[in-house]
Amino acid sequence: MISIRKLRKSFIAQQGVVNALRDIDLEVSEGDFCVLLGPSGCGKTTTLRCVAGLERPDGGEIEISGRLVNSPASRIFIAAEKREIGMVFQSYAIWPHMNVFQNVAFPLTQGQKRVAKSLVADRVRAALKRVQLDGLEDRPATDLSGGQQQRVAMARAIVTDSKVLLMDEPLSNLDARLREQMRVELRKITKSIGVTTLYVTHDQAEALSLGDKVCVMNFGEILQIATPHDVYAKPANLFVAQFVGEMNFVKGKVAGPGKVESPLGMIAAPVPNGMNTGAQVTLAIRPEHVEVSPAPNHGAATTTGKVASRNYLGDAALLEVEVNGVTLLAKLAGDTVLTVGQNAAVELPAHRWHVFP
Amino acid sequence: MKVESRTEPAVGAWEGLSRFLPQGVTLFATGLSGLLMLLIGVPVLMVILMSLRTGFPGENVPFTLENFATVYLTPRTYEILLNTVFFAISSVSITLLIAVPLVWILMRTDIPFKKTIYVLLTIGILVPVFLRTIAWILLLSPRIGLVNKWLQEVFALSDPPFNLYSLTGMAFVQGVSFVPGAFFMLAAAYRSMDPSLEEAAYTSGVGKLKTFLKINIPITWPAIAGVMVYLFMTAIAVFEVPAIIGMPARIHVLSSLIFTSTTPSTGLPDYGMAGAYGAIMLILGLTLAVLYVRLVKQGKKYTVITGRGYRPREIALGRWKWAALAFVFFYLSIEVFIPFSVLLWASLLPYLQLPSAEALSSLTLKHYIEMPNHVGARPFINTLILMFAVPTITMILSVLVSWIVIRTQVSFRGFLDTLVFIPHAVPGILMAVGLAYLGLAYRDYFPLYGTVSIIVLAHTINWIAYGTRTTNSVMIQVHRELEEAGRVSGASASRVLGKIILPLVAAGVLNSWIWIGMLSYREVTMSLTLLTRSNVVISTVVWQFWGSGWVPQVSALGVMLILFATIVVGTVRFALSRIGEIGSAS
Repeated sequence: MISIRKLRKSFIAQQGVVNALRDIDLEVSEGDFCVLLGPSGCGKTTTLRCVAGLERPDGGEIEISGRLVNSPASRIFIAAEKREIGMVFQSYAIWPHMNVFQNVAFPLTQGQKRVAKSLVADRVRAALKRVQLDGLEDRPATDLSGGQQQRVAMARAIVTDSKVLLMDEPLSNLDARLREQMRVELRKITKSIGVTTLYVTHDQAEALSLGDKVCVMNFGEILQIATPHDVYAKPANLFVAQFVGEMNFVKGKVAGPGKVESPLGMIAAPVPNGMNTGAQVTLAIRPEHVEVSPAPNHGAATTTGKVASRNYLGDAALLEVEVNGVTLLAKLAGDTVLTVGQNAAVELPAHRWHVFP
Repeated sequence: MKVESRTEPAVGAWEGLSRFLPQGVTLFATGLSGLLMLLIGVPVLMVILMSLRTGFPGENVPFTLENFATVYLTPRTYEILLNTVFFAISSVSITLLIAVPLVWILMRTDIPFKKTIYVLLTIGILVPVFLRTIAWILLLSPRIGLVNKWLQEVFALSDPPFNLYSLTGMAFVQGVSFVPGAFFMLAAAYRSMDPSLEEAAYTSGVGKLKTFLKINIPITWPAIAGVMVYLFMTAIAVFEVPAIIGMPARIHVLSSLIFTSTTPSTGLPDYGMAGAYGAIMLILGLTLAVLYVRLVKQGKKYTVITGRGYRPREIALGRWKWAALAFVFFYLSIEVFIPFSVLLWASLLPYLQLPSAEALSSLTLKHYIEMPNHVGARPFINTLILMFAVPTITMILSVLVSWIVIRTQVSFRGFLDTLVFIPHAVPGILMAVGLAYLGLAYRDYFPLYGTVSIIVLAHTINWIAYGTRTTNSVMIQVHRELEEAGRVSGASASRVLGKIILPLVAAGVLNSWIWIGMLSYREVTMSLTLLTRSNVVISTVVWQFWGSGWVPQVSALGVMLILFATIVVGTVRFALSRIGEIGSAS
């Protein structure tokens, strides 16, 4: 539905040329919800704006619904207004001089895909119903709350039934509770209309819960494209491991097949094929996989440590455990009896480890 | 946010002080309000007073409505009112036709040479309107205008093709002169507009031109309407163009009529008639000011909605770049280049003539060298006094007023804020006429008539509205928490003032100090209304030269006026940008 091939873009900044995008390749198939995830300045918004036609790339090709909309090499650039897309902006971009109805009706009355006057009202009402704003048609845009503005922006983006929906951090201006609620609704709406969505965020929780596919970016490159589960459970590299979710990192050296020497001692871990003995590696394990218990367990992988701090979160407790001078973060159930200063047994299951070069 | 912080108790934490400090502040605010009521109210009162009296100022005559009867029962008054309105509407239309595209081009597109264009626009404000008017007369007057002469020569025309001496000619010169002011007023609205409002229209399938018409113009409409009303209010009161073009051709508007009533070329001054005419102007001015304030408030409602994550993005003009540059160049030509070139050319010749070999051989610097003999030192000293005294007094008063309005809880701070806005609505010419009347009728109590001080006073009253607007915005920017953070760090109130507040407001205050100084330097209407032999300033010297028909001398002095202003502003811009402050156009 959306295919991006070898997309390149550089900006001239004060420090010199900044390569915002370096050969981005991305395929989003029909009806998919694809999330571009990365820290600020990683090129995710630039990618989205190139797809929207709001930014001109230096090289590469973009295809939307099988139509080539951008290819600097063959001098093709379809303007944003002719791309038949819907877009939700970070600032919502609700036009303050119009009411809710006029804002949502604008693409239908002024845009490329105009519809008969008699249909406009029905289409607008249907779009507003989808975002649960029915009844607010005559409200001036300036009288809306942040969450309502967000919904109007959403309604405006879907009112033309475009095949492609682009969203640029649409939830980042909402407060935490509303954001989580909107997250669930967003997914419901996009799935119910079956629109192909490209969604930009820097919030990994948002990315994991929304996307069919998550695409992690940094420094203008795509580092991993995978399902949310795979991005979390099988990070392709150190950056993804670090950026998505919490992770403990320990430096080490490959000591043999399935064995890594580290400050924690000899660790059994799945060393990938092709890593020779003696190679420097970084070991990584998620806090929820660090098993800490009061009494030393039997079992080979068990080491002992000391609880250095305890951060109670209600449903969970985050413990910092010191093992051989290395501090490991462990996530335990909230009702754990471990207290600061207590000695504890630490188990690090071999299959939970990730080994990165 | 602002409103919230204002309603909090200001010094609630300081128990010892809070008991008597508010009373001290109230006392101070009362005194300041009293002073400003005298400054602003008395001249206005004088205008009303003179309209109810006949005879000379100071003559003890009973109140009468005779002046109003004379004025409002004469059909000519309505003719002149119509002239005034026509002149104002045409001027404002010309201004907006140029200013709105200009703002859009400079604020929203990637047109090259932006910085240079800004500087030239600033110079455009500093070229006094009367000099520009004179330059256009030298070009388009049917009798001596160079363009007319040249066209007549080339095409062997019997009649001059252009005649500047008409209401349209006046509106053209006035309209062009308003553009830089309108530009800077509109620039803020266009700059603060969230670009995604435009982008949302593009992604809705709407093209660039339609987006400009359906999104940009309506969103900035309150700002445009505000500028329109403000300019209309100003156009009704301006005097320079109506005096220089209109009066010789007997095309009168309200302001020139008021001036001729108090300063007739023959006969005795009639302040009563001036007051009666002034009353219409006063009512118009106040009505428009109320409208203006309401529009500005409405505009604020629109800006509330701009979201975060906002990056200024420029529209790539592509092939249209040259068309846009041509438009800007055309405007700058009629605004700055052509008037200045004409004055420069005229100043170097013994008499005004078309460029030719003969003219080139007679070029001379004589008029510049002889200038001191014609002018003497007095006007220069007087102008310097204006340039220092006016901004200093205005800014001191403005800072004090803004501090009370923005930072304290004094109950009548709203009244004070409105009070200092009144000079915006009362035309300068009326203030000056009022002051002149005061000086003449009550010279025992107010012995300033004929001194520079009375001009200083007139200018200060006139620009206190502008001064307080800028100090208000500067004070609002210095968030209360910055002050409070200083206090909780253990600094005393005086240290907080000296080390935190003053450094933060200094650049803004200095900027408007210089700006008011320059405005005072180029002002002529009030200085002329209050003119006697002893308080001549440079701008009124130019005026007198023009009245005597000394074209080369007028031009030479005009060139010097413009160059000096450009050098001052250029130096200040450079110096301020070096300290890294307010490099932006304001």
